[in-house]
Amino acid sequence: MTIENKTSIAREILRLRLSQMIINEKYKANLFKIPIHIAMGHEAIAVAVDAVLEKNDRLVCTHRNMHYNLAQAKSLKPILDEYFLKKEGLARAELGSMNLANEEKNIIYTSSILGNNLPVAAGLALGEKVQETGNLVVVQTGDGAMEEGTFYESLLFSRSNSLRMLVIVENNEWSMHTKISERRSEINISKFTESLGVEYRRIDGNNVYAYIDELRILRKQIIETRNPAVLEVDLVTLGGWYVDDGKGGWRFIHPHAGPLSKTELVEWPEIEHGPTDPVFVLKEDFSAEELKKMAEEILRGLKLEIGE
Amino acid sequence: MKYVQYINELIMKKTGETEKLVLYGQNIAAGSHISGFTKNPKVGAGGLIINATNSENTLAGLGFGMMLNGTSSIFFMKQLDFLLLGIDQLTHSYNFIRRHIPKASYTIAAVVSDLGWHGLQSSFANFGDLCSIARIPGFTITNKADAEQIINTQLVAPGFRVIGVSQRLFGKELLEVKSISTNQDKTLFQYREGEKATIVSFNFSFPQSLELAEKLDEKGVKASLFSVNAVTPIDWTKIIEDIQKTKNLVVLDDSKSENLACDNLLATAYEKCKMDKVIALKREIRSNEWLFPNQDELVVNYDEVVKRLLV
Repeated sequence: MTIENKTSIAREILRLRLSQMIINEKYKANLFKIPIHIAMGHEAIAVAVDAVLEKNDRLVCTHRNMHYNLAQAKSLKPILDEYFLKKEGLARAELGSMNLANEEKNIIYTSSILGNNLPVAAGLALGEKVQETGNLVVVQTGDGAMEEGTFYESLLFSRSNSLRMLVIVENNEWSMHTKISERRSEINISKFTESLGVEYRRIDGNNVYAYIDELRILRKQIIETRNPAVLEVDLVTLGGWYVDDGKGGWRFIHPHAGPLSKTELVEWPEIEHGPTDPVFVLKEDFSAEELKKMAEEILRGLKLEIGE
Repeated sequence: MKYVQYINELIMKKTGETEKLVLYGQNIAAGSHISGFTKNPKVGAGGLIINATNSENTLAGLGFGMMLNGTSSIFFMKQLDFLLLGIDQLTHSYNFIRRHIPKASYTIAAVVSDLGWHGLQSSFANFGDLCSIARIPGFTITNKADAEQIINTQLVAPGFRVIGVSQRLFGKELLEVKSISTNQDKTLFQYREGEKATIVSFNFSFPQSLELAEKLDEKGVKASLFSVNAVTPIDWTKIIEDIQKTKNLVVLDDSKSENLACDNLLATAYEKCKMDKVIALKREIRSNEWLFPNQDELVVNYDEVVKRLLV
C-alpha cells in the first residue's frame, strides 16, 4: 500500500470517529427524535470493508450502521440531515438511523430487526447468482444477532446454494446491556461454520491495514469458490460508563442506543489509550504529531460541511 | 378437473414463460409436490427451481433480497401457518422495499391450512389476518374465473403479494363459473346480478355462497353474487350500490379469526344502506372443539336462509 493510500485510510478512521463525536454532541443536546446507535470503536472494520468492496458489491447492515454509512457516504451532512429527518437527508427522511441504507453507495438494505437482514442478504446473493453478476454480498451482524435462527438458516441456505456472501460478525460481547457471559453459553463459530463447510476467519486488534488484507483474501476466495464465509471481528463499542448498581458496587453501562454521556468532542479523538480503540492503533503507522494534524484538519472540514 | 390441478397448470404455464424466475420452497420439486400444487415445475431461460431448506424465516426473506437486485421469484409454501415463522420479513423487509415501486416480482403462494382434520395448525385459516399485518396485497383463489384472472395478472408482476389457495378445496371439483365483472386490482369479483338479495363471499366460502345463490334461484329469487378475493383495503362502492338496490344482504365468511373482513363490509352497509334483512353466516366457535381435528367447515342451513329471505 502506498503512503498516500495509507494516509487516506488513516484519515477515514479519524473522520468516522470525529463525525460520530459531532453526532453524539447533538444527541446529548437532545436534538434528535429518532433512536440512534453510535458505533465508536467499530471504525476499522467499516473503513476496511469500504476499501475492499468493488463498485457493484452489496452491503447489508444492521441497526448499528453509522460507521458503514459514514464510510460509504464519505460525508457527514446527508447522514446528519437524515437523523434530523430533513428531506435533504441521505434517505429523504424515510429511514432515519436504524434502517439507513444508501442504495447508490453499496448499502442496499439495512434492518432494525435483529437477524432480519441475513435472509435478505442471502436472497440478494441468490439474485446475483441468477443475474450472473459475480458481485459479493457482505452482511453485517453481531454476537447478539447470531443467536437468532436466521444466522443458521441463512448460512445453511447460502452454503447449500453456493452463494457469494460474506457474513461479518461484529463481536462486541454485548446485546443491549447484557454481556455474553450473562446471557448464554459460548458459541464456537469456528466449529459451527466448519460443520456447514463454511470458511471462518477471526480478526482483532483494530489494525485497519491488516483488516483490509484479510478482507481482500476472503473476497477473492468467496468469488472463486462460490461459497459463503464468516468473518468474526472482535471489537469494543467505546463510550461506556459505570453507574452505582445499588448494591454497593458498580455496573458498566454498555453503549446501546442513546447518547454517550461521558464522551466529549475533542480535537484528538482517542477514547481508549489501547488497542481497543482504532484511533489509538493508528499510532503503529503514524506519529502522534501527524495524526493530531490530520484530526484537526478533518474536524475543521466537518464543521465547515455542516455549517458550524 | 380438480381445483388444485387447474391452479397448478395455470401457474406452470405462467412460470414456464418467464425468464430468470426463481421458484423455491420446501418439496416443490419432490414427492407429492405439495399435493400437486407445484407439480411439473417450470421456469423460463435462466431461471432456477430450488427445493429449499426448512428455514421459513430465511425463505420468506429471500424473495425480498432478490427483489433488491431485480430478480423475480415465487415462494411456494406448504402451509400458510409456516409463514408465521417469517413475519418480520413480511413487515420490516416489505416495508423497506415498498417505499418505492419495485421492478421485480415476489409472490408467496401459500396453501391455507383450512382442512380441519389437521387439528391445531388449522386455526390460522383466515387469510386476511396474515395480509392485514402489513397491508399486504392478498388474493384467495376459489374457482376457475378468479384463478385465471389472479394467476395471469398477479403471480408475476412488479411488487409483492400473497396468493392463498384452500387445502379444503384441493381434492374438490373446480367450480367452473364465469365472472361478470372484476375490479382493476382483481380483489373483487361479481358472478351474478339480481334484484332481491346481495350475497358476498369472504375468505374461501365461495362454494357455499354459490350454492346459496343457486338455491335462491330455484325459488325464483335472483341474487347478486360477489366474492371478495383480497382482504386489504377494498372499495366497497360496487357492493354497497347493489345492497341499496336489493335491500337484503347475506355475507359468508368461513375463517376462524376474531377479525373478519365481512364485519368491515357489514359496518359500511349499516352506515350507508337501508336494509330489510341482514344475514351474517360466520363460524360459531363456542368451545375448544375448534382446536381439535374435525370437519371444520362453515355449515350453511340453506333452507333456513332461503326461508328468511323469502319471508
